[in-house]
Amino acid sequence: MSAVHAEWTKLRTVPSPGLLLLTMIVVTVGFGLLEDVGQKCPTSCSYDSPKLSLTGILVGQALVAVLAALMVTSEYGSGMIRITLTAVPRRLTALAAKAVVLTGMVLAAGAFAAAWSLIAGRYILPGNGFTGAHGSEVLSLSAGSTLRAAGGSVLYLALIGLLSLGLATAVRDSGASIALLIGLIYIVPLIVQLGVLDPRWERHLERWSPMNAGMAIQATRDLNTLPIGPWPGLGVLALWAAGALLLGGLLLRLRDA
Amino acid sequence: MSTPTITPYRSAQRPGRDDFPHLLRAEWTKFRSVRGWWIAMIAAALLTALAVAAIASAANGKQNPGAHPTVAIGPGGEAVTDSFYFARQSLDGNGSITARITSLADGELPGQGTGSSTHTAQPWAKAGIMIKASTTAGSAYAAVMATPGHGVRMQYDFTHDIAGLAGVPSAASPRWLRLTRSGDTVTGYDSADGRHWTEIGTASLAGLASTAQAGLFAASPQYVLGAQGFASNNNQPFFDTRITANFDHVRLAGARPGGAWTVGHIGFGTGPAQPANVNGRPPVSVHCGPNGGHCKGVATPQGSRFSEAGGRFTLSGSGGDVAPYVADLDPLGTVLKGSAVGLLAVIALGALFVTAEYRRGLIRTTFAASPRRGRVLAAKAIVIGSVTFVAGLAGTAIAMRIAVRKLHSGGWVSSVYPVWSLTSGHGLQIVVGTAGLLAVAAILALSAGAVLRRSTGAITVVVALLIVPVILGVTLPQTAAVWVLRLTPAAAFGLQEGTPRYSQVMHACLPYNGCFPLAPWTGFAVACVWAVAALGLAAYVLRRRDA
Repeated sequence: MSAVHAEWTKLRTVPSPGLLLLTMIVVTVGFGLLEDVGQKCPTSCSYDSPKLSLTGILVGQALVAVLAALMVTSEYGSGMIRITLTAVPRRLTALAAKAVVLTGMVLAAGAFAAAWSLIAGRYILPGNGFTGAHGSEVLSLSAGSTLRAAGGSVLYLALIGLLSLGLATAVRDSGASIALLIGLIYIVPLIVQLGVLDPRWERHLERWSPMNAGMAIQATRDLNTLPIGPWPGLGVLALWAAGALLLGGLLLRLRDA
Repeated sequence: MSTPTITPYRSAQRPGRDDFPHLLRAEWTKFRSVRGWWIAMIAAALLTALAVAAIASAANGKQNPGAHPTVAIGPGGEAVTDSFYFARQSLDGNGSITARITSLADGELPGQGTGSSTHTAQPWAKAGIMIKASTTAGSAYAAVMATPGHGVRMQYDFTHDIAGLAGVPSAASPRWLRLTRSGDTVTGYDSADGRHWTEIGTASLAGLASTAQAGLFAASPQYVLGAQGFASNNNQPFFDTRITANFDHVRLAGARPGGAWTVGHIGFGTGPAQPANVNGRPPVSVHCGPNGGHCKGVATPQGSRFSEAGGRFTLSGSGGDVAPYVADLDPLGTVLKGSAVGLLAVIALGALFVTAEYRRGLIRTTFAASPRRGRVLAAKAIVIGSVTFVAGLAGTAIAMRIAVRKLHSGGWVSSVYPVWSLTSGHGLQIVVGTAGLLAVAAILALSAGAVLRRSTGAITVVVALLIVPVILGVTLPQTAAVWVLRLTPAAAFGLQEGTPRYSQVMHACLPYNGCFPLAPWTGFAVACVWAVAALGLAAYVLRRRDA
């Protein structure tokens, strides 16, 4: 418990984590707004309104990943890690404390961002034709599926953070771990999206890549056409995060700091 | 006693050599003498090739209907759309056809119900006169036509397009059109009054048989209402449009005496049955005309009309086009996005080239040795830029060869998705352009590293500027996506487009399909402007700040 408190103090007393989370909220809500304002539904459309409003998560996740990576790599960069591990000699406990603090902060900031994204969508989208008449439902803030999309997006951010934390613990260099993580998150969806892959490959990638699978949690309609269901999708991302943490923890345990 | 004058000390040594070539050499030595840099740079090149090869293997087109659309093949072996409404007579040997267009009206075919009248114009709808080798789709032709948006044009053999008189024909200002055939050569003329003729261009139609078809034609491509959105299946509704032209003073010189007009559709049914979206995605809501079943390029010919009364002809053409076929998908461009892996590595290297010096304190030595900091930065930029360019050139050349081969053997037909050789103009554009993009990325990262002094921040910023926009391009709504891809350095990715585009074909440029809104080298210029601005900022900050 004191390890958690120590990690919290480390984060609380420097400006960059707070700034990163603030930027994350601004970027998430901002890109959601852009999508809300830009997307019109003139005659017929099959848009998924909650997913539309939560688009910003797509960009915000990069900042969460950076924050998580920095929690470990900045300590390696400055040598602080030796002090941390002297104070908390049980290394897995030290990593777990970081994970707990990170998860708490990301969940809080993520919930804030997701809530504002949804509220913005609720009030902007009907003006663009999302009135329920043209095949798009009015965004309801209390519908179960909307809550799943929003709550799941918050969990998604936390899992991306944990994935990043685990990888950064394994890699130890901030530049390398961020480049690796960005590649892992973003490049697969980009290639899949452009629609030239063999359908079999596309399906595999959509089911097993961290972002494609995890983002399934945002879907609220046509669920039977998704390559992977919302909760199983988030489960795949959880597997990725668990795997990364395991790898990071193992290496932390075995290596000199 | 006189006080001696104090002369300031002057070293007998020659002043140190701090000219620019030596600065360059110093930075080059820093790069050259660390084995890690070399390994990382070679790894970046190899990673590019490897990632591209991996994606190319996964991009097997055999299961993808977009890989082998049914298209007509033009005289040059390229895929073409060749379907139109044609009122024709046989023309034996040399001869000519002349006609006057007195009105041109275009619009959405009634009963389409887009709910909006703003997108009814099809600027490349066409009506005019044509001499065509045969009635087979894809056969050689030359035509002079009026268009609603681009004035009079002479087009021949699908890929050639020459501008004539501007403006839309009307009763007050009609357009006279003429084609004359002499052997294999067809010459197009236009005139505003029927007396003073201007030659627009000359077409050489190889192997034109002695009997050709000459007559009036009309075609009006479907209007594609491009739409994309992350939260839905992407809609690409198509709407039938129709062009109606009134002709008079129609004269056919060289036709068989007493010949009657044969009227009919050419090429419908053989045109491309273009799937609106492919690849096992959920069915897309496609609006393909009121009776359904017809899609882009094979529009319902039901809107076509022909009538003649007292030498006045009215011809309406709905659907079809006489133009090169432009694919929506861009397999080569997509596969080459694998270079993003190498790009990430290059960004990291570019940033580290300066942040490593800050980390180890070497930067103070560097600035002590060469106090003019702007020049140091310039030398660093030149060294990292050139090394990256050379490595990128090698990596992309290998990647390109593998990608083209794998796509070709994977069922992507070469008439639609050309096989570019490394030495062809387009192949060179892709290889040199991608290497240039890598070099610009390294310089951007170097500048960001100099400003932020931390590799994490620098890498994040450059990735956010260069790679994230490409991803946003396929997810944001269209307007936002297009602006993101115009303004950020990611515009340079347009250089990797592998599918040819033609200015005379209205193409719905959807970033969703990998289309970049700016012309390739314009996009590259945008990235260069960013790099120069970043270098300027870095030079300014370096001078103002303590090291």
